[in-house]
Amino acid sequence: MRMKNGLFVIAVALGVGIAFLIPTSGNGQDAAPKGDAPKDGGKGGFGKGGGKGKGPVVPAGPMPRLPDGHPDMQGYWNGPAVTDVQAPGRGGAPGTIVDPADGKIPFTPAEAAKIKETREHDAVDEPTLHCFETGVPKNMWIQFGFQILQDPTHFVVLHEIMHQVRIINLDNRPHIPANVHLFQGDSIGHWDGDTLVVETTNHGDKNWYDDTGTAKPQTVHVVERFIPVDANTITLESTMTDPTAYTQPWTARVTLRRANAMMPDGSRDYEQMEFACVEGNADLDHYTEDKGGKKKVVRVPTAKQ
Amino acid sequence: MLDMTDRFTARICSWTTAAVLLSVTASSAFGQGRGAFTPAKGWDGHADLTGIWEAFGTAGDSVEARNAAQGIRATLGSVTDPPGGLLPYKPDAVAKRNANFKNRAQLDSVNKCYMPGVPRLMYMGYPFQIFQSSKFVIVASEYMHIYRTIYLDNTKHLEGVDFYNGDSRGRWEGDTLVVDVANFNDQTWFDKAGNYHSDALHVVERFTRTSPDSMTYQATIEDPKVFTRAFTITVPMFRHTEPNARLLEYECQSYREDEAAGNPR
Repeated sequence: MRMKNGLFVIAVALGVGIAFLIPTSGNGQDAAPKGDAPKDGGKGGFGKGGGKGKGPVVPAGPMPRLPDGHPDMQGYWNGPAVTDVQAPGRGGAPGTIVDPADGKIPFTPAEAAKIKETREHDAVDEPTLHCFETGVPKNMWIQFGFQILQDPTHFVVLHEIMHQVRIINLDNRPHIPANVHLFQGDSIGHWDGDTLVVETTNHGDKNWYDDTGTAKPQTVHVVERFIPVDANTITLESTMTDPTAYTQPWTARVTLRRANAMMPDGSRDYEQMEFACVEGNADLDHYTEDKGGKKKVVRVPTAKQ
Repeated sequence: MLDMTDRFTARICSWTTAAVLLSVTASSAFGQGRGAFTPAKGWDGHADLTGIWEAFGTAGDSVEARNAAQGIRATLGSVTDPPGGLLPYKPDAVAKRNANFKNRAQLDSVNKCYMPGVPRLMYMGYPFQIFQSSKFVIVASEYMHIYRTIYLDNTKHLEGVDFYNGDSRGRWEGDTLVVDVANFNDQTWFDKAGNYHSDALHVVERFTRTSPDSMTYQATIEDPKVFTRAFTITVPMFRHTEPNARLLEYECQSYREDEAAGNPR
């Protein structure tokens, strides 16, 4: 955008800097959007990506269905901005973990020591500062909305932040070779009744679960369950299993809410904007050293040089 | 279930097939042969463009005919109009292209992991996946996880904003997807060789299927600040048919940081 650098700074300040410092509601406590009845009757179906006209795209009621009978979750959604996956989050935020009951990640002692080191000294590794993709499962928990697109063999999540795209294949293919690692991991999904179950492996080693240093092991096996609640609400449960890092599986639960919105000028349905990050990234300059003075930012030529 | 050897063979066969198809379909790909192939319809009722595609040829090196150079293949160019293989630069615009070429290691923003712009994203040498709905077409590239949303809802271009990859509004003309792209900045090039544009760039793309696993990509480009007239580039594209094909990732900034840290991997 023409105001790209300014917008970017604002975006990063909102998405990272402030998120780093200020507690937010940890579990999507915002009210569901309200509005007039849709002009298009909220038609679902393959190829009906969103609606037309003013008002909410999808009316209250049950989740629409695709011609093949599966839930139609297409459209724009918001997840909660989770700054700390564990309870209590900053400022006493509730966290997202529903199992175990204490809201804490059941780290092995060795993993706990690694996380402590990351939290105390590696703030500069916060992935968003580097314009890295946020990865699974965090990408469903971050500020900035996302769009879901479905076809019979794909469930695609298009994020505004980092213009990251996550392609979930629904064709029962095997996972990719174990030595291949991706920021978004390798996601393969299937339907369990009306619930979309997605298994993700092959993670990268630069991703965190939140903004506060809870690093994610590459070896974790993530199972997400997208459970439609009603037309405008999805419950997302993410279960992380990794015997090398956790003494038992743990599960986070968040609520995704449909963004039934128009563009601010009312001329059209909501559209996601280009999110230029690398192109305007001056934010790393603020993190020349972390607060412990132990680790310095790796310098590569940026937009300012 | 194929074993790895079979998959490798399948991959080779796929690209061999692609090469054969390229020669077989050359007349339709580069001429006026549209309509000779009737594509299957997708579930949105339009020609099915879905799948993982990749450009074939040298457009990413240089859209204009030129000799080989360090990191750039020799090419007869992808310019199909005007004839002659050259871009219709204004006389005073060629010097900047030449300077871009000479200093491309520093000036090519793709070397800094910036977005490559349109049309370069489509032929820069990375596969991309197309998804369709009645309201938009998504083009998701393996390069820097960039995706384009091509709106099909008859909306006009946004006003007062510009983008690296432009603002894409599409429509179907029969079985051809036609995309009008505007609202560009002046930070991107057409190729590795320094061919460039201004913020007055306007691109009209045409995606036309030419066989079960091929399509022709055409981009008609106007930029009155840089060129004396509109020109058209034509690039053949082929579908990845390996049974395990999927988009992977080229996370450019991550690899740059690894190199800068002395930790290439």
